[in-house]
Amino acid sequence: MDIELLVLLAMLGVFLIGNLLLKLPVSLSMILGAVAGALVAGEGVPIRHLFEGCFTYVDTILIISTAMLFMTAIQRSGALEALNALIVTKFYKVPALMLILLMFIVMFPGMITGSSTAAVLSAGAIVAPILLKIGIPKARAGAILAVGAIMGMAAPPVNIPAMLIAGGVDMPYIGFEGPLFLITIPCAIFTVLFLGLKYCKNLDIEELKKDLDMEVGKKYGFKLYIPILLLVVLLVLTRAVPKIMPQLGTPLIFLLCAVVAVFTGRRFNAWEGGLEAMDTTIPVLAKLMGVGMFIQILTLTGARGYIVVSCLGWGLVALYIAICTIMPGFGAVSSYGAASVMGVPFLLVLLDTGDQITIAALLSFICCLGDLMPPTALAGNYAAQIVGLKYKPVLKHCVIPFLVCIALAVIYLLNSKYMGFLTR
Amino acid sequence: MKKIPKRIWTAAALCLFAAAVCVYLGVTFSSMWKDQPIYPGPGVTEIQMLSDYNPGLKGTHGDTEVYVLDSGKPGAAVLVLGGTHPNEPSGVVAAVALIENCQPKTGVLYVIPRANHSAFTCTDPQEGAPMFFTIATPGGDRTFRFGSRATNPIDQWPDSDVYVHRTSGQTLSGSETRNLNRAYPGSNSGTFTERVTYGITELVKQKDVKITVDLHEASPEYTTVNAIVAHQDAIELASWASMDMQMEGMNISIEASPTNLHGLSHRELGDFTDTLATLMETANPSQGRLRGRTNADLVVKGVDKYYVRARKAGSVTVEFTEAGIPIDERVARHICGIEQLCKAYNELGNEQTIELDGLPSYQEILTNGIGYYLSPGK
Amino acid sequence: MLFLKYVYLAIVALLLALILTNMFKKDKFLYQLDAALVIIPLILRLLLIK
Repeated sequence: MDIELLVLLAMLGVFLIGNLLLKLPVSLSMILGAVAGALVAGEGVPIRHLFEGCFTYVDTILIISTAMLFMTAIQRSGALEALNALIVTKFYKVPALMLILLMFIVMFPGMITGSSTAAVLSAGAIVAPILLKIGIPKARAGAILAVGAIMGMAAPPVNIPAMLIAGGVDMPYIGFEGPLFLITIPCAIFTVLFLGLKYCKNLDIEELKKDLDMEVGKKYGFKLYIPILLLVVLLVLTRAVPKIMPQLGTPLIFLLCAVVAVFTGRRFNAWEGGLEAMDTTIPVLAKLMGVGMFIQILTLTGARGYIVVSCLGWGLVALYIAICTIMPGFGAVSSYGAASVMGVPFLLVLLDTGDQITIAALLSFICCLGDLMPPTALAGNYAAQIVGLKYKPVLKHCVIPFLVCIALAVIYLLNSKYMGFLTR
Repeated sequence: MKKIPKRIWTAAALCLFAAAVCVYLGVTFSSMWKDQPIYPGPGVTEIQMLSDYNPGLKGTHGDTEVYVLDSGKPGAAVLVLGGTHPNEPSGVVAAVALIENCQPKTGVLYVIPRANHSAFTCTDPQEGAPMFFTIATPGGDRTFRFGSRATNPIDQWPDSDVYVHRTSGQTLSGSETRNLNRAYPGSNSGTFTERVTYGITELVKQKDVKITVDLHEASPEYTTVNAIVAHQDAIELASWASMDMQMEGMNISIEASPTNLHGLSHRELGDFTDTLATLMETANPSQGRLRGRTNADLVVKGVDKYYVRARKAGSVTVEFTEAGIPIDERVARHICGIEQLCKAYNELGNEQTIELDGLPSYQEILTNGIGYYLSPGK
Repeated sequence: MLFLKYVYLAIVALLLALILTNMFKKDKFLYQLDAALVIIPLILRLLLIK
């Protein structure tokens, strides 16, 4: 037996014992798993390696934290309630269309930033109360947000796993729009209708109005929406005219818009708001730290290589099975990690089976689905937090959309040679 | 007196713990900030700095030495770049070996051993990479840094979400913002990394460099490996050189620089200057995705059981046996490649010539190890 | 855009302040431990060490 397999088993074993039996937080369980792996491999407790692994996520920490600051700010200013009232009163007559529109709103920040977390925390937070008010149960609403955010992350123009896979084989990130739209849009529409439509067939607007705050919008008027509009404008401009628009970066944009929200609606204490936002964020950030340490030790000890080489050695049929299971499964640790560690070698093996750009795009799509995988389940976690649940019931409702997404991706993968026209 | 709550004590204790970890990590990480010595050989006539070509680099971690090996006789100028990606160590070792051994007989050889100087000061997260590796020389061990693929974030941060290449408008993953070999031709008002490539581009222009050789390594599973990548103007040169390399026993292929992939030295230096731009790739298991345990031994000896298995399963195109691909072999390929590119330039009937002397042959390096040709230090 | 680095360092400092304040306000030890973990990379980035 390979020592690397032993290391892998020790890491997973200690993690599961810590998390499930001892009920330790995911962060601590992952750290203990990483330390166990290092010890089994004879590396001692490599403090430098453990913490170096965390640095991949410094930028992610900033995005998550500033997005939470923004979300808290627009909640406290009243912008969120006003927007809910506006959307419901305008669109309640055509619920299917309303649901699809809401889904696109959830996707939008993900499309622009390439981050499902940013999508859930910004647009997800706006859409969630509407979904709940029209009667969709919390867990289903959370699932809609989680899957929607992931579709946004995978949809063009910005799909970071696709860029990582393309970069790994020196393929320019060009021509990905077609295949990515062709998979994300149907999956998004299916998900939102499948999970939500039966709850909003007969909406009673007068009943809904009782739950909505119709006053705050009237009181502050248009200026209430300035932070949200500013967010959209800044995110779009940095993509649309990158040569003219300075690249402020997603965290700074979120923070600027949060600051603006302090002045455009109900007055609130910004420091208190910041503390509340970070309070809910710290456990998720710590989870990322644990993930970083886990991956670093997987790599250091060779367990990562063991996983990849085992998948590659199984032949083409088994490779497709690995693509559908292990690649999104690796997303439990990190979807970006899945793209660069597994996506690149898988693409190299599949290069001859069809259109290369389409294959890379589809692999990146499957990697993105990894953001639904527990224990990290970034998208699921935040979606659950927004609807006020633990993430397990939310993830339960994600299962069928997840399987449909994977099935569609595999159908496309097997037929990628006919899809080359999409990439031109 | 008011009793201090327990939570304050625990928080304070945890802060102390975090501070202690920070001090330990600070000492560990900063151990990479010091340059390892390079001992100029008899051929070195001058040591310039890259800031001589882009003054904006002065005083920054982007400034780096340019070793000048001037024969004193008229001839062509050649530039060798080592350490564009410090996690591809045969580049820097080959460049150091040139500095310590080469004696040009005609023309001038410029060597920048640490092209991305900043990237030598850290390692990439989640790669489990060693910070240092050593090569045995007859007089003792020589230590080299195993750095990062990209500029250290303490010198250039934050990355934009998407990297837009300045002259072409091509978009790449934001993590490529700090990749030296996506930042050519550079700009003196651009990012830190673009200012470094601007300095290199200026050197090529000001010194009328005829041939540029950028030394790289790639994952063994990568498609472009054991290859010379050449700008369209340099294809003939690279083809001639590769024939001679094959005669010396190396398996080497020629790849044309893709016209739609921008920011790379072989594309932009070829397009924006008169140099014949080439880049060499060897197979480095210590940066591959299939590798097993990652440590200094893997960097130097290049032995990896998972690559052997992947090769048997047909997932890796490059020959990979139990003997591995040691750094001696990878450096030998680079040195021989540089020598053959220069010979080919002369044989192609160019008026100015560049003749390099003092370099060990491919077979000599394989036999004696590259350490034999490195200064034992002082 | 070199000044952007300093803007981002200021954001890191703000987040550090918020996390530390929460750390001292909360009674739960495991929460405090999570916070202590998160501040380590942030401190090292703020001090331009890593």
